[in-house]
Amino acid sequence: MSTTTITVTINGEVFEETVPVRMLLVDFIRERAALTGTHIGCTYEGVCGACTVQIDGEAVKSCLMVAAQADGHEITTVEGLAQGGELSPLQRAFNEQHALQCGYCTPGILMNMDEFLRENPDPTDDEIRHGLVGNLCRCTGYAHIVDAVRQAAKETR
Amino acid sequence: MYPAPIDEYVRPATVADALAALGRYDEGDAVFVAGGQSLMQAVKARLVRPRCLIDLQAVDGLSGIDVGADGVRIGPMTRYAEIARDERLTGACAALRDAAQRVGDRQVRNRGTIGGSLCWNYVAACMPPTAIGLGAELELTAADGGTRTLAAEDFIGGPLETAREENEILTAITIPAAKGSAGSAYKKWGLVTDALPVIGVCVALEAADGRCTSARVAVGGLANGPTRSGAAEEALVGVDAGDGDGIAAALAKAAGEIETQEDLWADSDYRKQLIRSLGAEVTATAFARAAG
Amino acid sequence: MTGTSEGWVGSHFHRKEDHRLITGKGRFLADIARPAALHIVFKRSDHAHATIESVDVSAAKAMAGVVAVVTGDDIKDEILPMPQPVVQPALPATYPKHWPLAVGKVKWHGEPVAAVIARDPYVAADAAEAIEVDYDPLPYVGDAESALADGATIVHEDWPDNIIFQMDFTGGADEESQRAHEAKVQEVFDSADIVIKQRFTCHRCGVAPMETRGALFEWDESDGLTGWLTTQRPHIDRLALSDILEIPAEKIRIIAPRDQGGGFGVKAPFYREPMLIAYMAKKLGRPVRWIETRQEHLMAVSQERDQIHDLEVAAASDGKLLAIRDRGLADCGDGCEGVYWGFLMPFLGAVELPNAYDWPIGDIKVKVAITNKSALSPARAFGEFPTRFAMERAIDMVAKRCGMEPADVRRKNLVATLPHMSITNEYFDSGDFIKVWDNLMAEADLPGFRASQAEARAEGRYLGIGFGLGVELSGVASELFVPMENQPGYGAATVRLDPRGKVLVFEGDAPGGQGHETTVAQAVAHSFGIHPNDVVVTTGDTGTTPFGSGTVGARAGSYFVSAAVQACEFLKEKIARIMAHDLALAEASPADFSFADGFVTYQKDANIKKTFREAVERVIMAPINLPEGESGGLEHTAFFEAEKPMIAFNADVCTVEVDIETGQFKILSWTTSEDVGQIINPQIVEGQMQGAIVQGLSNTMFEEFVYDENGQQLTADFENYKLATAADVPDIKVTHAPTPCPYTPLGSRGIGEGRPSDVPGTLCNAICDALGPFGIEITDLPLRPDSLWRKIQAARGAS
Ligand SMILES: Cc1cc2nc3c(=O)[nH]c(=O)nc-3n(C[C@H](O)[C@H](O)[C@H](O)COP(=O)(O)OP(=O)(O)OC[C@H]3O[C@@H](n4cnc5c(N)ncnc54)[C@H](O)[C@@H]3O)c2cc1C
Ligand code: FES
Ligand code: FES
Repeated sequence: MSTTTITVTINGEVFEETVPVRMLLVDFIRERAALTGTHIGCTYEGVCGACTVQIDGEAVKSCLMVAAQADGHEITTVEGLAQGGELSPLQRAFNEQHALQCGYCTPGILMNMDEFLRENPDPTDDEIRHGLVGNLCRCTGYAHIVDAVRQAAKETR
Repeated sequence: MYPAPIDEYVRPATVADALAALGRYDEGDAVFVAGGQSLMQAVKARLVRPRCLIDLQAVDGLSGIDVGADGVRIGPMTRYAEIARDERLTGACAALRDAAQRVGDRQVRNRGTIGGSLCWNYVAACMPPTAIGLGAELELTAADGGTRTLAAEDFIGGPLETAREENEILTAITIPAAKGSAGSAYKKWGLVTDALPVIGVCVALEAADGRCTSARVAVGGLANGPTRSGAAEEALVGVDAGDGDGIAAALAKAAGEIETQEDLWADSDYRKQLIRSLGAEVTATAFARAAG
Repeated sequence: MTGTSEGWVGSHFHRKEDHRLITGKGRFLADIARPAALHIVFKRSDHAHATIESVDVSAAKAMAGVVAVVTGDDIKDEILPMPQPVVQPALPATYPKHWPLAVGKVKWHGEPVAAVIARDPYVAADAAEAIEVDYDPLPYVGDAESALADGATIVHEDWPDNIIFQMDFTGGADEESQRAHEAKVQEVFDSADIVIKQRFTCHRCGVAPMETRGALFEWDESDGLTGWLTTQRPHIDRLALSDILEIPAEKIRIIAPRDQGGGFGVKAPFYREPMLIAYMAKKLGRPVRWIETRQEHLMAVSQERDQIHDLEVAAASDGKLLAIRDRGLADCGDGCEGVYWGFLMPFLGAVELPNAYDWPIGDIKVKVAITNKSALSPARAFGEFPTRFAMERAIDMVAKRCGMEPADVRRKNLVATLPHMSITNEYFDSGDFIKVWDNLMAEADLPGFRASQAEARAEGRYLGIGFGLGVELSGVASELFVPMENQPGYGAATVRLDPRGKVLVFEGDAPGGQGHETTVAQAVAHSFGIHPNDVVVTTGDTGTTPFGSGTVGARAGSYFVSAAVQACEFLKEKIARIMAHDLALAEASPADFSFADGFVTYQKDANIKKTFREAVERVIMAPINLPEGESGGLEHTAFFEAEKPMIAFNADVCTVEVDIETGQFKILSWTTSEDVGQIINPQIVEGQMQGAIVQGLSNTMFEEFVYDENGQQLTADFENYKLATAADVPDIKVTHAPTPCPYTPLGSRGIGEGRPSDVPGTLCNAICDALGPFGIEITDLPLRPDSLWRKIQAARGAS
């Protein structure tokens, strides 16, 4: 199997790994870096957003990339959100507003909304809902997620 | 699911290196990957089985938006997110932002590129009709370093078809500066928010004293590929910004002449209705933008 | 936020399970690693109906990294076929024989034909692709009506026809009584002022949780089979696997991962894939792992609804409902699915058709047909999504004929006094429907809305208001569950006290996001007067938990929590008895001791108290000088069966604006009124309701499984099977008008399962109200702008 050697920083930790060229980034994160907070919900379509991570600070779907494309880049996953054991305001708001039920979609939503709030620190509810389009949630009906993002925005401002 | 085996991944730094990598493989065996937001779907579904992925992320000079006196020049690797937030894209170019702001979702906009959208030319894609509506010109560079420039409507064919030769790379998209006061707009409708559209309509027009002097109307979401409506363009000329009936009559001509198809999301009549209703809305917006 | 020691039940306690889930430390099935686990990939049928001529696995077998390739023929003599009694309802139906892999022919697009087991999942996928199957196509039986037509191709060849199940729900068991009953109902129709006769159809759609199915099995000669499985009912899976694979049950342990990415019914059946994976793990003596792809998921499962109802309603001109007649027909797919067999959903849908209305009489019959599609698998609003759509729409149609507000027709016909036995023999135990309704109407401000509707209409804008309501099962009593699914309905919980004063609770059911860890911790903390953080809940492991029939039918708030509370009460009595003995309080009875704020206190003299920990430690660690007949230790398993089957009740109102030029519409507001009995955790209840309603909206407006004329499934990805996004749905306001349930220790009711069912009717009623001037009636789903636009066009053309 054809392989390539890549260097990727994930949550500040450097991984130098030889991987099959076709290995998807999401599998690299889950299998090689053993960071299983990043989830998979699609076959090939890249619609659900459960696999969302940040590359160089931008939310992207890690199922729509091969790991080799991330060579030389910095990745942040949900495991990297809490700093020094301290939950981020967004994470805390998700707990306080009951913004998750099964929690399968949650890591992807956190990684998307974390960047979203940096870009738009004072969003309207419509903007939050629009920002969430790339993350499907089957459990919550989204209302509590919107509440949580609004709370985090307020606390962070 | 998982891509079929891939032999090689390369990340060239120049257009020449990218084309050289392409040349090392038989036709179709090496593919460019821009944002990967369409290509990787196809690769994972094993509809495309590349032996080599040529990643364009590091190619010098393919990204960015230049706004100058003779128009706007956009690198093909410019991502939707960058277009969406570029406040210089007003008036004649505003449709670009309309489209980019509503492509897919935040994550897709963070990676997907205008060049990828044009070169893939998916049936429901937003950029192809927008580029046609804006009269964009596409610069292609060949392996020998030669370039040619094509009007977007000559480049874009039926779904998944373009005039790109196998040994070419798209290197720039330019939108010529408008002569007078000009405005454009794009809007789409899909079943769920920001989804790949059932119909998307781009209208670009020039106006003098609130009256249309020339117009381009392009529609996407069609089985035959993005299509201009000559009848609507003609009918719009001479229509006043506030003339709702005149605008409606022009868009009815578009709906009349454009062939629409039926699929899971809408039948052909409803597509025609969308051409009328979206078309009227974007025309009004384009007028407003032309007025400044 | 916190509660007080008396107030954990009903307090805003933030969920205990969240921390791990928001930090990426959840343990879902795909996160469980076993050393050297192999990966299985299924080769699925490309045809909807075809004879398998040959399966060539040679190329697949030859690939490096491939460990095994199996076909139906390889396993049919090794694995007993389904059905097996533990996953077969006691209802009179025909149960199709099947194995995990197709044998002889395929019956739907996506049916498993062969499987590859390889060391690497990518290679397993390559090898599955390399399997060549030669098919000889057979005629496609594509819908229920053509399946029942004369001369239809029979899908299960050894059957006389394509009927898996049919039932008369109102006319008694024998032909004669049925005919007599039909005649009686006909009399009511003959003399009624108003008769509505309408066909209602509901499309195929379902739940599609964000986590797909998966399994990981390993075999060990001494311990036997251990399986991690995405499942709502691990104990039933264990028994079924034991029967199929002929492995003694005590040698099987099934573990539902602590975190499951949603179930909503679809993880409740006993499916084909785990049978094969378990079998292969044993055969190879190596762990075998399967993570279902979304494509497989959408091809094979999560498909429900798919019913047609020819519904007739007789009413008096004052809006009083007089009689109902329904002929239901469901398309059940091939029916090869343990526990449900594709027909239990339409069965229960018919039972729940009468809803909360007080029908004097009814005539309800259902037929379920086999077709060349995947078997219907359960989805929240189990079977009743279509029947409730039909009923709630029909009520509005009656109102229109009477010239009444639909809201008034509803209130007039609600069952006013409970308990009540419905015409389909569904028992409504308790509650106050009128109170819930009046609470909704106070929220709705109907006169105010009618005024703004009139104003808007004068401006050419079309606003509408719609109502709907629903009675939901609150758990499923054994009385119904034993005949329906051949399984007990009781809730079971083991409560084990730790010498350090902490509590361990074991639940045999397997949740997938409902917050059981928090809810039961609150209930147990409430009972013992300790903090919920001192309660640890383990779920879904057959090795450690008591038998439970599964996380289905809203059993948690009703049955499971009640069992846990009962177990706590049992242990409290024991602690109190021993404490009374120790303190030589001869007169004291256990009721004299209170458990609060971490103390056990003798209420007649508050100075006499022990910390909870001391009291517990005494019984567990120092079992000497005990009262006569008393033993040490503090652990108890309670099996809770309510005296009566129980229900919960809700009503909804929504407002919409419709654009008559495009048929596109916007939901302006959605408000609910609920009777969930005593609320244990308000946020969790609210979240359940919001999530359920959005699922209902998504089913109604966006989701549809589509098969083409040859039975090719066209919607096996999220680009084509569309789910609602955050931007597609409204905020949902949840309000309460509770009546505590008298049959549970806390007064709680089970909630959430049936909750999406009144959504399509409510929404469509609002749209039809908005389009009142055009006289449009929506009678089929999905509700899409294009079809609405066509109806508006037709009405405008006609006027
Ligand atoms: C969830 C989701 C939702 C989406 N929704 C929408 C939507 O609403 N509207 C819409 O328009 N699109 C939508 N898309 C598609 C998206 O816009 C794609 O990003 C776009 O079509 C392709 O751009 P890309 O940069 O990702 O290109 P890639 O996928 O990397 O490439 C696409 C094709 O273009 C070729 N190519 C790329 N760059 C060049 C170049 N410079 N020269 C020559 N060939 C090149 C590649 O070889 C490939 O064949 C969606 C995608 C997803 C995953
Ligand atoms: S798994 Fe990546 S978007 Fe669904
Ligand atoms: S919380 Fe379950 S999918 Fe979002």
